[in-house]
Amino acid sequence: MEKLKMMLVDDEERYLQTTAKLIEKKGYEVLTAGSGEEALEKLRVQTVHVVVLDMKMPGMDGNETLKAIKAMYPLVEVIMLTGHATVDSAIDGLRNGAFDYLMKPADLDQILEKSLDAFEKRQRIEEKIRVAQMKIL
Amino acid sequence: MNNTTPKQTHTGDRVRRSILTNMIIVPFIPFILAIGVGFYYFTTSLENNTTASMKRIVSDHRNMIESFLMERKADLEFVTNAFQYDEINQKETIDAIFENLKKQSGAFIDLGLFDPQGIHVRYSGKYELQGKTYADELWFKQVMQNGAYISDIFLGYRHLPHFVIAIKHGSGKNTWVLRATIDTLYFDRMISQVRIGKTGEAYILNKDGISQSERRSSNIQVMEKDPEFADFSKPEEAIHTFIKTDSSGIKYLYAVTWLKDKEWMLVVRQEKKDAYRFLYTAVYINLIIMILGVAVIIVVATFITDRILKQIEKLGREKENLGNQLIRAAQLAEIGEMAAGFAHEINNPLQIIKSEHALIETFLEDISHKIDEKGKRDLDEIEDSLGQIKIQVNRCSEITHAILRFGRKNEIRLETLNPCCVIPEIIHMIEKKAEVHGIEIIKQLSEDSPEFIGDTSQFQQVMLNLFNNAMDAITERHGSKGGMLKIETGMKDEKFLIVKITDNGAGISPENIGKIFSPFFTTKPVGKGTGLGLSVCYGIIESFGGTMEVTSEENAGAAFIISLPVITQ
Repeated sequence: MEKLKMMLVDDEERYLQTTAKLIEKKGYEVLTAGSGEEALEKLRVQTVHVVVLDMKMPGMDGNETLKAIKAMYPLVEVIMLTGHATVDSAIDGLRNGAFDYLMKPADLDQILEKSLDAFEKRQRIEEKIRVAQMKIL
Repeated sequence: MNNTTPKQTHTGDRVRRSILTNMIIVPFIPFILAIGVGFYYFTTSLENNTTASMKRIVSDHRNMIESFLMERKADLEFVTNAFQYDEINQKETIDAIFENLKKQSGAFIDLGLFDPQGIHVRYSGKYELQGKTYADELWFKQVMQNGAYISDIFLGYRHLPHFVIAIKHGSGKNTWVLRATIDTLYFDRMISQVRIGKTGEAYILNKDGISQSERRSSNIQVMEKDPEFADFSKPEEAIHTFIKTDSSGIKYLYAVTWLKDKEWMLVVRQEKKDAYRFLYTAVYINLIIMILGVAVIIVVATFITDRILKQIEKLGREKENLGNQLIRAAQLAEIGEMAAGFAHEINNPLQIIKSEHALIETFLEDISHKIDEKGKRDLDEIEDSLGQIKIQVNRCSEITHAILRFGRKNEIRLETLNPCCVIPEIIHMIEKKAEVHGIEIIKQLSEDSPEFIGDTSQFQQVMLNLFNNAMDAITERHGSKGGMLKIETGMKDEKFLIVKITDNGAGISPENIGKIFSPFFTTKPVGKGTGLGLSVCYGIIESFGGTMEVTSEENAGAAFIISLPVITQ
C-alpha cells in the first residue's frame, strides 16, 4: 500500500520545520517549501500526494500557486490554510479545485485528518484510472 | 442639551447683534423717510391753508366793512343832495329823514344838522345834543376841511363810545354839515361775526393802535390802546400775515389790512396753537405712529432674530451631532480594520505555537517511557503546563476569530423580512437553552407587524446576540429560576417597526450604559466575551437604516429597542 506523501508550503520557516518533524514522527513522508515557486520546483522532481498551502505568502500567493499546481499536476490534492480574513480567497481556492480549507491556527490532527481524506480521494481516482487503463488493454 | 462654550455664546451674541441691527435699521430708514416726507408736505400744506383762509377772512371783512361805511356815507350824501338846509332844519323833516335812514340801516343812532360855526342846529335822536357847539371837535374840523369824514371812536358829549359820519354841503356862508352817529354795537357785531376755531377773532384799531371795536377775547376795551400794535409790522401790501408773541407769551397768527385809507386797521388773529391745531394733532399722531412703528419694528426684529438664532443653533447642534456620528462611524471602521489586520497577523504565530506544542507533546510521550517515578511526577507538571498553553492558544484564537468576524465584509443579501416569520425561528434556536436556565420566554409579536429590509443571517446574529446577553444577565441575577425574557414587536409612527427585547436580569449600571455599544467594551469576566457583540449588532442595525437603543435599571433588567424602517410602497 502506498504511503501518504505530503508537502507543506508556508513562508514561516519554523512552522515548516516543526510541523514536518511532527508529521514524520506520525510516520508520513513530508516535504517543505518556503514559497509557491519553491513548491512548484519540488513538485517537478518529486511525487507528492497532498499539498498543504498557506493562502497568504509573499511572492506567489496561495491561489496563484494552487492554480499553477492544478494546471500542471491535476492529481495533486491541495488543502488551503487560511486566516479568517482570507476566507473569501479560500472560497476562490475551492472553486479552483482545492480539496478543502482549514482555519488558522489549525491543529496538526486536523491537518493530518484532512490530508488523509485527500489522499484517499486521490487513491480512488488513481484506482479508477488503473481500471480504465486495464479496460483499454 | 446645554453645551455651548463661552466662545460660542460670544459668537452668538455678535451674530445676534448684527442681525438685530440690520433688521431694525433696514425697515427703519424707509419708515422714517416716509413719515418725514409725508409730515413735511402735510404741515406745509396745512400752514398754507391756514394762512390762506385767514387772508380770505380778512379780505372778505375788509370789503364788507368798507362797503358798509361807503353805504352809510352814500346814505348821508343822498340826504344832503336831496334836501335844502332849511328843509332839514325842521323838526318833522329831520325826524322823517332819520326814520328813513334807520330803515336803510339799523346802525344809525341819531342824525344832526350843523351850521358852519359848529352849532348843533337840529337833532333827531335820543340824546339832548341840540344847541351844543362842535367847532373845536376833531371831526368837525376834518369835515369842514375834507367835505366828508368818518371818525374814529370817541366819547363826545354823551360820554359813550361812538363814531360819526359827517358830510359837508354847500360853500361859504351856506355851508352846512349833516352828521350821523353809528351804533358801535351794530358795528362790533358785524366784525365779531368772525369766529375762527376757539380763539380766532377780528377787531379794528386806528392808526395809533386805539381799539375801535369790541373783541371776543375782550381783554382790551373799545378806545383802549392795544399794546401789541406798536410791534406790528405795518403792511405794505394789501393783506399781511405774521406771527407774534403777546406779553403773556401766547403766540398769535395775525392777518392785517388797512381800512379807510389807512386810518383803521382790520386785525384778524388766532392763537397759533388753535390755528395750527390740526397741525399739532398731526404732529402728535405722527409721533405716536413713529413710536409705535419703531416699537413694532424692534419687537418684530427681536422676535425674528430670536427665531433665526434658534434655527441656527438647532442646525449647529444637528451638524455637531452628525459630525460626532461620522467620527464615531469612522473610528469604528478604523478600529475594525486595524483589529482585523492585527488578528490576522496574530494567527500565524499562534499556528507556530500550536505546532511547537504538538511537537513537545509527542516528544514528552516518547520520554515518558524512559524515566523513573520522580521524573514522571515532573513530567505531569510539564504536561499540565503544556495543557495550559494549549488552552490559552485556543483562547487567543477564539478572540482573533471574533475580531475577524467583526471586521469581515461579507456579501450582504438584503431581502424583505417578515418579523413574524424570522423572529420565531430565532427564538426556537434558544428555547432549549432558556428552558435549561429556567427562563420563561414571552412572545408578543403583533400579527400586523410590518416587513422590513435586511440580511437574514445578520438579523439572526443581532437577535441571538441580544438573547444570549439577556440570558447571561438573567442567570447572573436569578440563577436557574424565575427568569423572564420578553420579545415584542410593534409599530411607531407608521414608519418604524419596533422590536423590543426585555429581560429581568442584572441590568446595566448607569456608568456602563453609555459605553455598551463601543467595541471591546465588556463586563464579562476575562475570556468570556470579546466586547464586540453589541457593537457589531449596532453596526448591523445601522446598516439596515435603523437604530438601536437601550434602557436599563440596575438589578431590574434591561430593554433593547430596535427601530427599523418599514417598507413603504
